[in-house]
Amino acid sequence: MEEISIDVKHVSKKFRLYHEKRTSVYESLMAIFSRKKYYEQLIALDDISFNVKKGEMFGIIGRNGGGKTTLLKILSHIYQPDSGSVDVKGTIIPLLALGLGFHPELTATSNIIQSGILLGLSKKEISKNVEDVIKFAELEKFADIKIKNFSAGMHMRLAFSTAMQINPDILILDEILAVGDINFQKKSFDAIMDFKKRGKSVILVSHEMNTIHKFCDRAMFLKNGKVGKLGTPDEVIASYVDFLDTQKLT
Amino acid sequence: MKSKLYKMTSIKEELWKTKGILFNFAIFDLKIKYRNSILGMLWSLIEPLLLLGVLLIVFSTIFKFDIENFPIYLLLGIITWNFFKNGTSIALGSITNRSAFLSQIYFPRAIPGMSAGLTASLQLLSELVILAVFMIVLNFTPTLTIIYLIPIFLLELILIMGIALPLSVLNAKFKDVEFIWGVVLQAGFFLTPIIYQFDMLPETVRSILQFSPMVQIVTMAHHVTLYGELPPLNSMLYAVFSVSIIAIVGYLTFRKFQARVVEEL
Repeated sequence: MEEISIDVKHVSKKFRLYHEKRTSVYESLMAIFSRKKYYEQLIALDDISFNVKKGEMFGIIGRNGGGKTTLLKILSHIYQPDSGSVDVKGTIIPLLALGLGFHPELTATSNIIQSGILLGLSKKEISKNVEDVIKFAELEKFADIKIKNFSAGMHMRLAFSTAMQINPDILILDEILAVGDINFQKKSFDAIMDFKKRGKSVILVSHEMNTIHKFCDRAMFLKNGKVGKLGTPDEVIASYVDFLDTQKLT
Repeated sequence: MKSKLYKMTSIKEELWKTKGILFNFAIFDLKIKYRNSILGMLWSLIEPLLLLGVLLIVFSTIFKFDIENFPIYLLLGIITWNFFKNGTSIALGSITNRSAFLSQIYFPRAIPGMSAGLTASLQLLSELVILAVFMIVLNFTPTLTIIYLIPIFLLELILIMGIALPLSVLNAKFKDVEFIWGVVLQAGFFLTPIIYQFDMLPETVRSILQFSPMVQIVTMAHHVTLYGELPPLNSMLYAVFSVSIIAIVGYLTFRKFQARVVEEL
């Protein structure tokens, strides 16, 4: 049997949408007395079950607000699910939107070290690799510049290179490669394929169906917080495209 | 309803694994605090010295307080109080200021609050150097009992952590915590025997204030440093008792709010 690196069973997550967010003690106290309902429930994820195997690239597609990012945040332990279980084997690095918890006031080099430590490496281990990270990100000239001065693309390259250097067991990529130029994209995908070959898992979120079709072994379509379709990339993309067509009509 | 994964490690185990982050944050807090300032870290020494200067002038020339070794008495009080003030106030923003971190990668939620305690400890060490300098300049030789400052400051560190952890998560949920705590600190400074001696207060006031852990901690620090004697048993009991209660309640509060704190940011 193939080894499973992420096992998600019946995960649900609700959010409260506050119409007028109450964040002070006084307002919270008043709310108890007035008994007015000031929020709505938003079901972000509803009974999601799937697994990702070792050495597999797993794609997740869906419309904006379909629950993709929420799911990734639950996988990476940032959010807690309301119910269900998530079993992650090994270290996981999420590259969500931009960054890896970078601090704008620190230089690229300091940020690599800081992120490495935050993700569980010792300072010694990470210091050895700083040069490689900078080189892969092609940021040699900017190594000691505060990253608040970085462009979105530079920021992304730094985050991606750092994550690859830390060498986790599972990598989560949320739209991250869309920002890079074509050369860097190619280089990144080579690195990801190599990473995969070493028996590691990748979860890829993308709006580019081409990427999903080309690189993923399996995929899932998240349809308003539910599993719309789970299977081969082609089946899943077809189901997603169908869904988009019906939406257009109504 | 609880998921399996998130019960797998206790808060303590998690912290042990990630202790590297703790020190990293503690130093980082100091660096960020003094960035873009010309005098940099020196400010952490200048601040208490300026306060000392002002208080010395006001209370020894205007009010004519007659306390033996008043400058040292005052400085020790300020340093002990600053430790508490720094630790809890850094903790206050420790999670909200890191919302970017916390919503991008996972690390134990206790780290920001605890690192605030560590940052304050580093500041305490540098301030103790000033105290030593003052003792030399004023030709004051403390007795060996000054060693007991170590357990006293450790007890204070437990108190700080017991307040820092809940403050860090509560402030993410209720922004008023910050303002309330500012008032508490302001009041605490005057309700703690820093600029006066506890005996100067009327009996009724003393019977209430004796429950304040900071009153007892500062009193104990004065005893072991200035009077060359062990702290009164009464003080020790009250201090350990009140610190334990605050630490337990604080930890339980933290545990209740920590899991979902990121969703509140």
